[in-house]
Amino acid sequence: MTSKDRELMARYIYQVVRRLSKNQRHEVEMELEELISDMAEQGMGMEEVLAKLGDPKVFARQYQDDRHYLIGPEYYDNYVWLLKIVLLCAGGTILVVSVIETVTQGIVPGSTDAEKFALSIVYGIGSGFVNLAASCISIFGIVTILFALMERGRIRFDRKADKEWKVSDLGSGSGSMKQEWTPGRLTSIPNKKAVISKGDSIIGIMFIVIFCVLLIFVPHFFSLIITSGEEVTMIPVFNLEQWHVILPVFVLSMALALADEVIRLAIGHYCRIVMISNLICGFLQIILAVVILKILPFWNPGFVKKLNMYMGEHAEFLAANLDVNMISNGFLTLIIVITFAEMAVTVYKTMRYGMNK
Amino acid sequence: MGQEKELLDSLLMELRRGTLVLSVLSQMSTAKYGYSLVQSLEEKGISIDPNTLYPLMRRLEKQGLLESQWDTGGSKPRKYYRRTLYGDEIYHELKKQWEQISQGMEKLLKEGEE
Repeated sequence: MTSKDRELMARYIYQVVRRLSKNQRHEVEMELEELISDMAEQGMGMEEVLAKLGDPKVFARQYQDDRHYLIGPEYYDNYVWLLKIVLLCAGGTILVVSVIETVTQGIVPGSTDAEKFALSIVYGIGSGFVNLAASCISIFGIVTILFALMERGRIRFDRKADKEWKVSDLGSGSGSMKQEWTPGRLTSIPNKKAVISKGDSIIGIMFIVIFCVLLIFVPHFFSLIITSGEEVTMIPVFNLEQWHVILPVFVLSMALALADEVIRLAIGHYCRIVMISNLICGFLQIILAVVILKILPFWNPGFVKKLNMYMGEHAEFLAANLDVNMISNGFLTLIIVITFAEMAVTVYKTMRYGMNK
Repeated sequence: MGQEKELLDSLLMELRRGTLVLSVLSQMSTAKYGYSLVQSLEEKGISIDPNTLYPLMRRLEKQGLLESQWDTGGSKPRKYYRRTLYGDEIYHELKKQWEQISQGMEKLLKEGEE
């Protein structure tokens, strides 16, 4: 074998081996060296040998019998579907928000400063793009992580099932007695009434995404707008000074809701896993709602004072009757009622239609 | 025309794939190294690409049907494979099944000729 042939062989082997897992590489390298030199010794030229072996990529694929997926074929379609919806939703919201921001900041009533106007448009477009990129990347990340976790969970579940199978095999006493498949092993096809349609999830998911985007990028949109003559005043409803503390809790709560929706979507029918995830996410969401509304300084403390300043005597009545605690309790009750209602529906449908009998 | 050949090729590949394991196992009662197996199969009219055979042998080893040993005594290191006891058991069972299948197939194909 000439040194040129050796070089060719080494290159080919490298192209195969680099595509394999580390613990396979050394052995396969030796095997291929043996094979290629055997073939060359039959009188074939090195190039002819390698041409016969074919594309190293294809060769390597033959060695990779157990493939690892981040997101396997079972979940892939749902993953892409969800990603599209969520990205469109977030992107659309950010676009609308950016336009509103740009216009409201650019048009100062009574001013004709064209330069200022142009500058604010440039700024608006710029920050819009930055927000768009940042949120698309984080959404992509969150959705991918959720599905990847599900994929891992499923694989673990499969392996466990595999193990149990073997143990019961051993339990039968004789090695040759294989536990035979019987039709009784068939798990039933999910009842039609237990199927969770994509349409059910889509509204929840869209709401979560839009709300999240608004809270992250423009919490000051949730404001009371007062116009007196030419002047427009916005009084934020939320406590924006403490927003850096409140927002993460909010986002965590939304992420939990999203996780629950993703699990529903991926599994596609009411069953024990969907029920447990719904119960856990529901309870955690209630706890987070209590934290946000009752523990964190959620409402803008200067709201009433500012209202007074702008509305004069009209506000006195409001100020006297506006009890922040009462509002918090109202919201909390609403959240708890809705969450419990959802949990009740899930538990009912799971027990009624979703359990394998 | 090209489409027809493509279809035929892929069907043929599927047909061969099913017989691969049995063909390989049948030759492994004595220790053989990879390329000698390619040649001995070819002599008997069964052609198999080395890039299919090598990964297959590793898989069979992983499944416990074959065992391998590196022989470093010769001019270059060689990996020899042979059937394990478990492999023998499986091979004989497969062979029995194959005989049944081929009998059945023969009948089916003869019927088709009439």
